[in-house]
Amino acid sequence: MARMWDRMLYALWGVATLAIGIAIYLVFLHAPEERVMGPPQRIFYFHVPIAMMTFLAVFVLLVGSLGYLWTRQRAWDDLARAASEVGLLFCTLVLITGPIWAKPAWGVWWTWEARLTTTLLLWLLLVGGQMVRSYATNRDQGARLAAVVGIVAALDVPIVYKAVDWWRGQHPVLFRPGAGRALAPGMSETFSFCIWAFALLFALLLALRFRLARIEDRTLDCVERLSAG
Amino acid sequence: MSAPGFGRATYEVAAKDLRLEWRTFESLSSAIVFSLIVLVLFSFAFGFSAAREFGVDRIVPGVVWTVLAFATVVTVARSMELERRRDTLTALFLAPVDRGALFAGKLVANLVKIGLLHGTVVALAALFFDFDLLEVAAPLALVLAVHALGLTELGTLFAAIATRVGRGEALLATLLFPASAPVFVSAVKCTAAVLSGRGLGDEGRTWLLATVGFDVLYFLVALGTFEFVLEE
Repeated sequence: MARMWDRMLYALWGVATLAIGIAIYLVFLHAPEERVMGPPQRIFYFHVPIAMMTFLAVFVLLVGSLGYLWTRQRAWDDLARAASEVGLLFCTLVLITGPIWAKPAWGVWWTWEARLTTTLLLWLLLVGGQMVRSYATNRDQGARLAAVVGIVAALDVPIVYKAVDWWRGQHPVLFRPGAGRALAPGMSETFSFCIWAFALLFALLLALRFRLARIEDRTLDCVERLSAG
Repeated sequence: MSAPGFGRATYEVAAKDLRLEWRTFESLSSAIVFSLIVLVLFSFAFGFSAAREFGVDRIVPGVVWTVLAFATVVTVARSMELERRRDTLTALFLAPVDRGALFAGKLVANLVKIGLLHGTVVALAALFFDFDLLEVAAPLALVLAVHALGLTELGTLFAAIATRVGRGEALLATLLFPASAPVFVSAVKCTAAVLSGRGLGDEGRTWLLATVGFDVLYFLVALGTFEFVLEE
């Protein structure tokens, strides 16, 4: 069983590496230049898929947290832990790539717009969850409290988004439902491919972190059993 | 003797907290003095005539809610810190009652304290920034109550978490402020609408209704998860 898992991980690693390689080729050599924004627009092929994966990570965090509180099986907590860490990494990348694009496009590094503000608040909540886990006095407590913070954070994301959207808005909307494709053909296929490439990268990182968390757990179990005996 | 029901347990926990507060005035006195200091700091930061220059509805809502947000952190953190000192949180957890009732009781006691705090802070703000409090008292009280509820619900839950890991206000603020951002935004909007003298208006009413929705959601989430926080 473990062997099969490892083999699948290697396969995923190979496919994800290949996909990211192709994505880089498509973004810089295949996709046509955007007429108004020029080269900086290309960051959008990385920025948007990473943002999508951030929100997928938050969903996995919610599932893992609920699963842990429900069943008390360590595996669920390991999933939540992996999702919150990979989610924090991707969220950080979103917050870095966004301003790099915003400066030439909007003329400012930062603006208090719904998606930006939501992403920043999500980042703070994910950091808060990490802090709670690391301050906890033992593993079970850390898992439980981080699960509670994870659930609140995940449920809060849509509310924060909606609230800040009402507060103010100016993010470019590329896909409005029913409005048809707004992207040129070369751009649209590059964009679709990038989403899949980053989904594979996300799956790989999540699987690796999950596997590491399982190993950590087993090690700590052994330590606890040895020190008890 | 049978175990007390949800309502009875909520009442007992809240009454215990309030009795303690009544005898010592420990958390309210520190929160009120703290609020007063921050209000004075704001007056220094913006200049004493800022409210007259920019208009009361531009300055006061932001100042009042920033003060109230921090004072809320001080108050709810205190109520849990007291439990931690002699490990009475564990004793509460062992009581044969619904764990949700422990949250509800803590919440009720915190709400009473925070209600008094709100009254004091708003009265002080009216004094410092010179606006007619009596004219807007009724709609302002409604706005304060609806938003205090959301802030205190999340505050009570997160204060328990911060206390459990042995950290105080800093961790509580880190968790509470991002999570309660929607309530905070709405609070400032609604307060500004009320203070402008034109009433809540359509936008204000939408915000207020949305916040009632947030309050319900936060209450249910906190009620459901509080038990896992208390567990040893």
